[in-house]
Amino acid sequence: MTTATLDHHDLTAPTGGGGNTVRRLLLGAGFIRAAWMFCLFGAIGFGLVVVFRWWGGWHPLFDMQPITLVSLLVAGPLGFLAGIGAFDYWTYYALGFPTRAEDHSGHGARSWRDYFRVNTDHKVIGVQYLVTTIFFFIVGGFLAMLVRVQLARPNSHFFDPQTYNGLFSVHASLMIFLFVIPAFAGLANFVVPLMLGAPDMAFPRLNALSFWLLPIAGIMMLSSFIVPGGAFACGWTGYAPLCSSHQPLGAIFFNQGVQWAGASSIMTALNFLVTIITMRAPGLTFWRMPLLVWANFTTSLLVVIATPFIAGSQFFSMFDHVMHTSFFNTSGGGYPLGYQHIFWFYSHPAVYIMMLPGFGIVSEVISVFSRKPIFGYRLMALSLMAIVVLGFSVWAHHMFTSGMSSWLRVPMMVTTLLIAVPTGIKIFSWLATMWEGKLHFNTPMLFALGFISMFVIGGLSGIMLGAVPIDIHVTDTYFVVAHLHYVLFGGSVFTIFAGIYYWYPKMTGRMYDERLGKLHFWLTFVGFNLTFFPMHIIGTEGMPRRVAEYAPKFASMNMFISLASFGLGASVLVFLYNVITSWKNGPIAPSNPWRALTLEWQVTSPPPIFNFDQIPQVVGSPYEYGVPGAQHAVLAPSPTHEVEEVAAP
Amino acid sequence: MRRGSIASLLGIGIVAGGIAAAVALAIPWLPVSASKEAGRIDFVFWFVVTICIVVFAVVAAVMLYSIVRFRAAPDDDSDGPPIHGHTGLEITWTLIPTVLVTAIGITSAIVLSRNDALAKNTLRINVIAQQFTWTFKYPSGLTSASLMLPNEREVQLRFQSKDVIHAFFVPQFRENEDIVPGLITSINVTPTRIGTYPVICNELCGLGHSTMRSTAVVMAPAAFDKWLKSQSKAVTSPSAGTAGAAIFKNNGCGACHTLTAAGTTGKVGPDLDKLPAEAQQAGQPLASFVHTSIVDPNAYIQPGYPKNVMPQTFGKALSTQQLDALVTYLTTSSGK
Repeated sequence: MTTATLDHHDLTAPTGGGGNTVRRLLLGAGFIRAAWMFCLFGAIGFGLVVVFRWWGGWHPLFDMQPITLVSLLVAGPLGFLAGIGAFDYWTYYALGFPTRAEDHSGHGARSWRDYFRVNTDHKVIGVQYLVTTIFFFIVGGFLAMLVRVQLARPNSHFFDPQTYNGLFSVHASLMIFLFVIPAFAGLANFVVPLMLGAPDMAFPRLNALSFWLLPIAGIMMLSSFIVPGGAFACGWTGYAPLCSSHQPLGAIFFNQGVQWAGASSIMTALNFLVTIITMRAPGLTFWRMPLLVWANFTTSLLVVIATPFIAGSQFFSMFDHVMHTSFFNTSGGGYPLGYQHIFWFYSHPAVYIMMLPGFGIVSEVISVFSRKPIFGYRLMALSLMAIVVLGFSVWAHHMFTSGMSSWLRVPMMVTTLLIAVPTGIKIFSWLATMWEGKLHFNTPMLFALGFISMFVIGGLSGIMLGAVPIDIHVTDTYFVVAHLHYVLFGGSVFTIFAGIYYWYPKMTGRMYDERLGKLHFWLTFVGFNLTFFPMHIIGTEGMPRRVAEYAPKFASMNMFISLASFGLGASVLVFLYNVITSWKNGPIAPSNPWRALTLEWQVTSPPPIFNFDQIPQVVGSPYEYGVPGAQHAVLAPSPTHEVEEVAAP
Repeated sequence: MRRGSIASLLGIGIVAGGIAAAVALAIPWLPVSASKEAGRIDFVFWFVVTICIVVFAVVAAVMLYSIVRFRAAPDDDSDGPPIHGHTGLEITWTLIPTVLVTAIGITSAIVLSRNDALAKNTLRINVIAQQFTWTFKYPSGLTSASLMLPNEREVQLRFQSKDVIHAFFVPQFRENEDIVPGLITSINVTPTRIGTYPVICNELCGLGHSTMRSTAVVMAPAAFDKWLKSQSKAVTSPSAGTAGAAIFKNNGCGACHTLTAAGTTGKVGPDLDKLPAEAQQAGQPLASFVHTSIVDPNAYIQPGYPKNVMPQTFGKALSTQQLDALVTYLTTSSGK
């Protein structure tokens, strides 16, 4: 352990005497206070709605929709956050109580309990993010397998239509909003401050709050299954007017779930931007930043600019549903295509929000395991910026057949096709990085290579979809389902796995089992292709997506896909077994098992509580493999560390 | 780069490209082409696929070659050569993709404008979509539940929706267009192949989405004219016995409801073969129960089924005679 071994947990709770454990349990920040404050705030929300309806003379007095919205989906979660302690410091400050000097009691993890409270340490928050998102990954994957159960036969009635539509809607929402986006945020939370030579993120309390919004969003989306009338069943895109006025109560659980997840995303992105701009170690200029930092910088720009648009679209849709406004309701003068334009103005950049951090991870992994500098570093960083800029000009390629102004199709097609150029630059540069390198095929490298091969296929099918005439034939068919899974599973999920294996030793201080890691890769790679490749074929032949029944000629293909998907699902068990048992019993990890140059590998595994005893001095590029005597940074040797391996320059 | 490595790279590239080309050619990717527009779209499809196969082969070759050739020995802790980049190479792999995607863009734009161009002798058909049925209206005022088309004549389909967004999709025509409430959207189709093809709703429109299907029948022009005439007669003098069955079929009731007499097996709404039992459950006489359920579906909801799924528009869309005929048909044929 390091200098910060102070243990002042009790200071956060208003302690009285020795016999005041009950008082401390009820009033101290934690799950008990979160539970009763959730109920209290929920009751206040309920009261507010009823009082206002009574005052305004509206009937019926007890209308389930506004009551659920205000009490359960807004006020209750705020009470939960207050109870868990996310607002404690600010509340004390705002109420004029004497603010306590920062004692770091909410910082770092000394036992497993510290992962279940509001913690301001970016490393703890990173792990909290990853464990939470993997939980939702497993739930979302389970829902997908239920979808495949229904689709195994052409006319099976395994689920009723409401449940079936709910299954694929919640599957997509969880995978996007509760897995891919926050899993990248989790990895970056752990790694980025270390790579910058910073002691933490710029706003640690905001960082903690961002994390605790996530479980709220996830539970909200998932619990829509037990709401009377069933889960939201209009797809994750929630097109109006189907979702805004023809859905049961469950639809607003989606609308609001997106708000909580989106708020989390925006806060994290702001935090990353400020951290990256202001907290780089001396000497760490922008052109010396590792590409992972570049990737999260550009992703955060996308999040901050684009996410408010989906928030708007979901608010309007929810207003139409609950308060009978007419944003998208034609009979009141609304415009249904308006929803799609606002929605895709976020949701297309969101594709890059789910892609760019993965590019960053792969750049680190490929360079380290090829023992070579990244090829064309500056063009790699610039192509990220090019994707950010172009990414905002392509949204209507999701709407080629939507009935929008037809002249819009050609310009949107051109920008869509052009975005393949910076993406291509990245692929070719990774290949060139491997060329003449000394390749080591550890699990992270296997997942990175799997990513490149799958992402090339997903990118090429993306070019096909970008060409309007082809899109007119295959839009909303299984070809699109295949394409998006090649990009988001073969792309994003493979890079998340690469990142988890790569930084696993740093996070846990233990090595994972390499053989199980490789087994996991091959099961995933084969299972993934068997599941998703055939979808291209049934798609071009004309099988629509989001259906529960289909023409008998697709029967054998669908049975095959369903069986393969169960195998793909089972491969996750290998991953879980590996990470859980290795965390307990794996061999102790050295500080730099991959012989990497970036800063996070120059401190112990896991890193000390404030990362660096002295701010490091950065003196060169992070990728100088093979350059004799090259150094990325100089770290002052620390007397307090038990063992400190300094990277051999 | 040595000559040997160029040869093996080329070899791997040709093998990878060959496998991809075999996959492209051996699998029947596209359904039969049944319209002039489909032919042009197929051209773009194969043009882009060819480019994709070449790019895929290049990437696969470099990657496989590197994996085999540059694998480090387990005890090899040395680093690779410190190559930081190569400006010429970087310009090349920026320019070539730019040229390729520009070519794709130009080809697509040309095909798009050809397919959107309207011929002189165009037949206009209005298509009305609602949860979960299709109605096709011909210029003569004739309505039909399936889309009858004359071969070799350009048709403009003009779409309207009564409730939510639907989409019109006939894979053999390679045509797909959303049908948006409040807008009139349209596409042009010139059928070139006589046959029967599925009409699919291709935008999630609610619980009966999977069953919102109809058929497109392309017939010889003479046969089409004959059909038009015979149908116009049928409209003016409906025979009382078959009227109810025709209304049931034309309004797409079978998409959601099971009725053995009509040969339908929909599972979205209640089973119409059990109408007498359901009327008893609701505590209403059979005929008035059936009538109310069509005109005001939310008045009584059979346990186990959600509210607001059955369209509430049939009361207005059907005339009093049609409603009576439909009720008579349902009460007499239920359970038979």
